Amino acid sequence: MRSPPLLSVVVGLALAGCSGLPRDPAGTSDRVAERGVIRLGDVEGAAPEPAAERALSRLAAATGARIERVPGHGEELLEGLQEGEYDLVYGRFADDSPWAEAVHLGRPLGDPVGASSSQRAPRFAFRHGENGWIAAVEEAAR
Amino acid sequence: MTGIPAAIRADFARARRLEWWTLGWMSTVIVTMALTMGASQAMRSALIEDFLSLVPAVTWLIAARFEARPPTRKYPFGFVRVQSLAFLVSAVTLALVGALVLVESASTLIQAEHPTVAPVTIFGHDVWLGWLMIAALAYSIIPPVILGRKKQPVARRLCDKVLHTDALMQKADWQTGLAGILGIVGIAFGLWWADSAAALFIALSILRDGVANIRTAAAELLDGAPRELAGSKIADDAGRLADRLVERWPGARVRLRESGRYIFAVVEGVEPPTAAPPNEALMGDDPEWRLGELAFEPRSGAEASSTPRR
Repeated sequence: MRSPPLLSVVVGLALAGCSGLPRDPAGTSDRVAERGVIRLGDVEGAAPEPAAERALSRLAAATGARIERVPGHGEELLEGLQEGEYDLVYGRFADDSPWAEAVHLGRPLGDPVGASSSQRAPRFAFRHGENGWIAAVEEAAR
Repeated sequence: MTGIPAAIRADFARARRLEWWTLGWMSTVIVTMALTMGASQAMRSALIEDFLSLVPAVTWLIAARFEARPPTRKYPFGFVRVQSLAFLVSAVTLALVGALVLVESASTLIQAEHPTVAPVTIFGHDVWLGWLMIAALAYSIIPPVILGRKKQPVARRLCDKVLHTDALMQKADWQTGLAGILGIVGIAFGLWWADSAAALFIALSILRDGVANIRTAAAELLDGAPRELAGSKIADDAGRLADRLVERWPGARVRLRESGRYIFAVVEGVEPPTAAPPNEALMGDDPEWRLGELAFEPRSGAEASSTPRR
């Protein structure tokens, strides 16, 4: 029965450092703070969504960084996102989009009306694993 | 041989209760894990492992229904050997769980996949799913630790290799749970590889247990000499029994094999006694029920006993 004490130590440690956690393995949050710029890939033709604009201005305020919009085509932007060229991509994506494996699709913005998994909804896409950054953006998008 | 020997009936009932408890408790673990982790791909394989981990308990319960049945015309030797079959199934499942975790974690490491754990909304608050996963994994550790520990002494007393393999499965369960917690704490600190590295380490030990058990199960089905509960060595009580048989019938050729939890002995090349000595006399201080059958075979010519007839 040596696991429960070890467990409480691990959980205790984790909770103690809760504020700065989770962190990003590829350091998106740190880079945004350092440069003061959030590079947003903006999928051309995606209708502007008031909830997205509100989320971006709240994110800018929370991070103290300005938004730099880079318009482009969906696939180019998402590939760039995977490479770390962009911190965030805004577009209309469905839950069952083939890209859902390659990047992390955030929660739908605004009021999802009768959302089915194949219905495209306005949302942000993230590079996989950047858990701290994802949590920060989702917090701003609430 | 029919029925369960009186000496182990209480332990047998206890083992049955433990296996039902296993099904009940591990089901609650599976539901908890499915609720917190159902969405992610990596965790789906964790669920498959959880389902597989029920296999030894289920095979034990099925085998237990058959084991005590009297012989029939179609099964003239009875059903005691159903334990050996269940043992092979359990051992293969254990190895399969190890292999699954190994492949999964190795491929994640090689492809350098960064696991995403997103926040979820609970009662209007955003909570990082990782904290919930840790809570679920912490819960998932408790039942297998307790059940596995309770099963080990019973398995020893029953000479029950299926139950022992099941206890190993519970060990695999709580170890993967602990590895999962370390992995998610690692992810929280931005170490994307922590989860897979921890799982890889555990997978190797599960796979080793599984393969060792497959070897013992295969030996049992090939009429190999009785093996230890945990290990590939010949069981101590079988060695002592062989010594006592040779002592009683000098010059005889003694062969032992294992059928389920019982030892079957064949004594060759001696005049069979009109009445076989009682088990107590042959087993000495070892549990007398272990000797399931004692058979005598005549020697038909000098070579016949050592050359198998085809």
